[in-house]
Parts: sequence; structure tokens; C-alpha cells
Amino acid sequence: MSQRTERRGIHVDQSDLLCKKGCGYYGNAAWQGLCSKCWREEYQRVRQKQIQDDWALAEKLQREEEAAYASSHGVQTQSHSQSTAPHPGHASLGPFSKFEEKKTNEKTRKVTTVKKFFSPSSRTATKKETQEGKTPSPSISRRASFDTDQVSRDFLDFLKNLQKPGREIHKQCRVFIVNMLSKKDLGADELSECVQDFYQNMADRLMSHFKGSSDSVEQVMDQVEKYIMTRLYKSVFCPETTDDEKKDLATQNRIRALHWVTIQMLCVSVDEEIPEVSENVDKAITDIIEMDSKRVPRDKLVCITRCSKHIFSAIRITKNEPASADDFLPALIYIVLKANPPRLQSNIQYITRFCNPSRLMTGEDGYYFTNLCCAVAFIEKLDAQSLNLSPEEFERYMSGQASPRFNGSEGDWPHTGSALGITATNPVLAQVNHNLELLSGLSGRQERLMEAAQSLQADLLSWSDSVQREVHDIREKYPLEILSCTVPAIDANNIDNDNLPSPLTPQVFSG
Amino acid sequence: MSAMRVDTKVVMLGKESVGKTSLVERYVHHRFLVGPYQNTIGAAFVAKAIQVEDKVITLGIWDTAGSERYEAMSRIYYRGARAAIVCYDLTDSSSFQRARFWVKELQKCEEQCKIYLCGTKSDLIEGDRSLRQIDYHDAQDFAEGNCSLSKMYHLDLIPELLNTRFPTYTKMPSSVPAEETGVNLGQKKDPYFYSCCHNN
Repeated sequence: MSQRTERRGIHVDQSDLLCKKGCGYYGNAAWQGLCSKCWREEYQRVRQKQIQDDWALAEKLQREEEAAYASSHGVQTQSHSQSTAPHPGHASLGPFSKFEEKKTNEKTRKVTTVKKFFSPSSRTATKKETQEGKTPSPSISRRASFDTDQVSRDFLDFLKNLQKPGREIHKQCRVFIVNMLSKKDLGADELSECVQDFYQNMADRLMSHFKGSSDSVEQVMDQVEKYIMTRLYKSVFCPETTDDEKKDLATQNRIRALHWVTIQMLCVSVDEEIPEVSENVDKAITDIIEMDSKRVPRDKLVCITRCSKHIFSAIRITKNEPASADDFLPALIYIVLKANPPRLQSNIQYITRFCNPSRLMTGEDGYYFTNLCCAVAFIEKLDAQSLNLSPEEFERYMSGQASPRFNGSEGDWPHTGSALGITATNPVLAQVNHNLELLSGLSGRQERLMEAAQSLQADLLSWSDSVQREVHDIREKYPLEILSCTVPAIDANNIDNDNLPSPLTPQVFSG
Repeated sequence: MSAMRVDTKVVMLGKESVGKTSLVERYVHHRFLVGPYQNTIGAAFVAKAIQVEDKVITLGIWDTAGSERYEAMSRIYYRGARAAIVCYDLTDSSSFQRARFWVKELQKCEEQCKIYLCGTKSDLIEGDRSLRQIDYHDAQDFAEGNCSLSKMYHLDLIPELLNTRFPTYTKMPSSVPAEETGVNLGQKKDPYFYSCCHNN
């Protein structure tokens, strides 16, 4: 196509057609009067410059972050370096505006010259930008699962409404993510510091942009957090540089070892006999387990809050009055013990490190999260005293020699403290106990049956003996005497026959 | 800048069943826990926005578990708090001991935090003075040494509530977030904090 354009140009004006660089080749209007070779060089140069600027910006941000980390007053340093940015007029958006300027320059040039390729509509421009945005970090896009793609799309859709600042926000997030991914070997605390600085910076900029409307800032910050943390999740959740995983396992084992702790020991005012209450307890357990499946710190917090709300409902239904913290914390501990949520420590650490700090320190979510931290701390430190048990009892339960659940339901376990008045709380255990009782009853009955069968057998044997003996006795008593008498012939004693009438003689009738 | 929002954390500390929850209920909803409330799910966390001059300050009031078994964890709760309401029961001397403990802890760990001492259940001693276990002067001496308490505040008593178990207490600190915003909300002449409950 370029060939054809060139050829067509020959017929217009010879003098204007040569490359402006004077290389002797023909130039082209679409290439600003340059020949294809010179244009490519020129274009490359501009592009290269832009790429370099990109990197310079990324490096600058990194330096800023490192400087912020180095000095204890992170935020101050940052604002310092910002004020020295080349555009003091746009102090808040300093690095962007420079960037954005160059970008626009180039875009307009492209738009005027190569109209066929680039439509000037802002929509395509945004799209183009995202494509470009992904090119320097193929590793991210490759790793991105469906989830992250979805989140990126949502993020872009959200930012479109903000127009120009939206693009700036996206650019900065992107640079930040690339930056973060290149710093994998940093410790978790450093990573956390980077993210927190980024939040702080972004919030400050947004604050000046929205003229102090906290709601809008919060809204944007939520989206930024969602976008960034979804992308960074894999590299910063439970990183290898920390012992989070070890702690997870320790907590998990600890909770398993504490399986015997009952509602009564913790003084939880939740009565699971009430169906509605046990339903709420189940929901709370589901919610706290679900927390692990979320990627964004805020979503994890939402799970904790939902779990807490269910606990409150359970307490309210049981006590018939709203729950206070005195009721809530024990109940939460109980739920955590029952649920044994996966990777609990990692999740808590992740939220602490990467959640927007304003959310953690204040607000409802922060309150419930703090309670969860307390519950975990309590479980870690839990000892006999905290359950109102004697150390011996605690030891026995921990070693599995005794189980408090049997005390209440069965009276025949006298060695464990029945004074506690513990009843079987777990319906499954109660069922098992019930079945055991049934079985022992059955075996007793079977034994009795066997005994009876044996005695029956003995009875039968002795009976036949006794019958024999009886028969023998009787035979002894009444011996069979056979009288010896001559048996006469049948006719011999036929004496009475004389009285009988003479037998009838057959009469013959003639005729 | 009228939409400027400031979040402030206020923790409630005090032994079990001294009435922290009722205090919060009363402050936020202007009512007492005399019967079951179906419309509140729980009173452990409440947020209340108050307008101070040109700023809207959101008080996030954190109820805490007062049982001694959670004592080791209480630090997690009051981290970053701007104000702490330390409650004790006027009819329970052990609760005052616990209150002293918290005040010391707060002074040690949270220098930024303002401490308010609050005696509760003054209605009980109004009915029967022999129930009182915490002497007025003891509380005041302690507060003066530690909380700079000089004024005793008597909460607006609502007549029909006199017969319930919980009637009196402070006008909850409208001065709480003073430090955070840099505005002296209380507009007090003296720098003292309030305490509450009994007016005798």
C-alpha cells in the first residue's frame, strides 16, 4: 500500500516528494514528508524515547518508594520529590501530566497523519492504551486468569467514567504493578510499605482532584485496591519470605488440638438447640471459611463482617437482646474453633499488610477484623485458666485422655470433673454416645440369651434323664408280671353258644 | 470542604456487665436496654456522626469484651483509639480496680488517647446508699491524678427511666475528637475532661 501511495505521489509535485531528510528517496505525506526508512527511524526514536520515559517514570516511582521506605517519614519524602517534579503547576499529578502530554502529542500526530489506522474517538484511544499497557508486562497478562481479566475490564469501565484522570489512574496502577512484580524478592513488610505508600499517594492525589469529596475518593480507592490486589495476589499472599505458612499450620494444629473446647467453657451465650441459632452458626462458619477464597483484602473483610453479623443474630435469638462485645468475642472464638478456617494467619497478615489502612483502623469492618485478631490471639495463648479449668483437667483434655463431652451425657465417667456441668453439645457425639449405649444394651441382652440357651440345653438334658429315671422307677415299682396261663382254643369255651338260636338255614324258593 | 469526614475511634473499656453496651445504646439511640430490641442486631460497634463546626466527625464506638480472660488482647482493641471511656460500676469495687488497670495501660500504650472515667449504675445507689462501694472522693482523686477529671457530670435524667437499672450517665464526650481535628470541640475554658454519673 505504501508503494502505491508513493507512486501516486510522483504525479503530483516532484519537488515535494523527496524525503525531507534529503536521503534521496521519495517522501510521503503520511510520513510527514519522510521516506519510509527515515520515517521508521524517526518513529522509532520517538517511541524509544517514550519507552525510556516510561522506564524513567517507573524507576522514579521506585526510587521514591525506596526513599520513602528509607526515611521513617515516608509520606513527607514522597511529597518532597513530587514538588520537584517538572510541572509544579500540576503538583498533584506531576509525573502524569508530563507523561500525558507526550502521549497526546504523539496521538494527535498519528491521528492527523495515519487516519486510517487510528480513529480519533476517545473510546478506541482508551482501548489502544490498554493494549499498549499490557505489552511491557507480558508476564502479567499471561498469568492473568479469567478473574483478573474480569477485574481489569471492570476497572477500565469504572475509570472510563472519570475520563482523563481515569486514564492517569490506570497508568499509575499499571506502572505500580510492574514495579511490584519486579520486586518479588523484597520482604513482606517492604512490599506492604510500597502498597501502603501507593494508597496514600493515590488518595492524596484523588483528594485534590475531587476537591475533598471523601465519598468519591473512597469509591475510586476501592476500585484501585481491587484492581491492584487482584493482580498482585499471587505474588504477595503468603510470600515465601515470611513464615506465614508455618504459622498457618501451627494455628491449624492448635485449633485441632482444642477440638474438645465446649460452648460452656467459653461462656458463649449461644444455644444451638434452637434451629434458627444453629442455622446462623453454620452460616457464620461458612462465611469465615469463605474468606480464604477472596483475593481483595476488602472482600475478605466483607466475609468477616458477614460472619460477625450471623454471630450477632445467633446471640440475639438466644438471649433475646442485642449482643454486646462481652457476648460477641467468645462466640467468635467458638466459631473460629469450630470452623478452623484455612490459612487463617496468612489471611490476617495479608489483610493487615495490603488493606487500605483507613478501613482497618476505623469503621465496622475494622472492628470485626480486630475482634478476629483477638480471637486468634486468644486461641494461641489459651490455657487452663482462660477456660476456668484446672491445669490437670486441661492437660488431660489436651492429651486426649479425657473428653469433657462425655461427662454430661453419661453419668458413668466419674473421674472427670462433672462439677463443670458439661453436657454434650455436639449432636454427632451425642448420637455416637446413644449408639454406644444401644450396642452395650444389645450385647447384654445377647449374653442373657446365651445363658438362657445354655440353661435350656441343660434343662433338656436333665429332663430326659429325669424322664428316664422316672420311667425306670415306675418300672421298678410296678414290675411287669407275665401271668402264665394256658390259652384255650377259641372254640373250647364257647359255652354260651347253646343259648343262641340255631343258625339260619338257607331256604330255597322255587319260582 | 463541608463534606470533609473524619473517622475517630472511641473504645469502651470496663469489666463485664458494668454497662458499656447500655451506655453506648443510650448515647447513640437515646434509649435504655429495658427489654429486647429487635431492631438492633448488636451494639458492639456503632458509628455516630456528629457535626462540629464545619466538620462531620464519625465516631466509631468500639465495645470491648471486659472479661479478665481477654485482658491480654485488650491492647489490640485500643490501638489507634482517640478516646477511651473507662467504665466502672459504682456498686462493685473490683470493677474500679479493673478501671484503674485500663487507665494505666492506656497511659502507657496510647499517649494520643484521651481517657474518660465513667461510673455507672448510680440509680442503684440512689435507691440504697449502702450499695455504694466506690467512694466519690476515691474516684475523684484517682481521676485527678490520671485523667485530669475535675467535673462530675450528671446526665440528663429522664423521669420514666428512673426505675430502670440504668439511668444516669454522662453527656457522652462531645469533646472526644478534639485532638484529631485540631478543633477544640468542647469549647471548654478549662482543659479538664468530664466524668459522669453521680452528682452528689
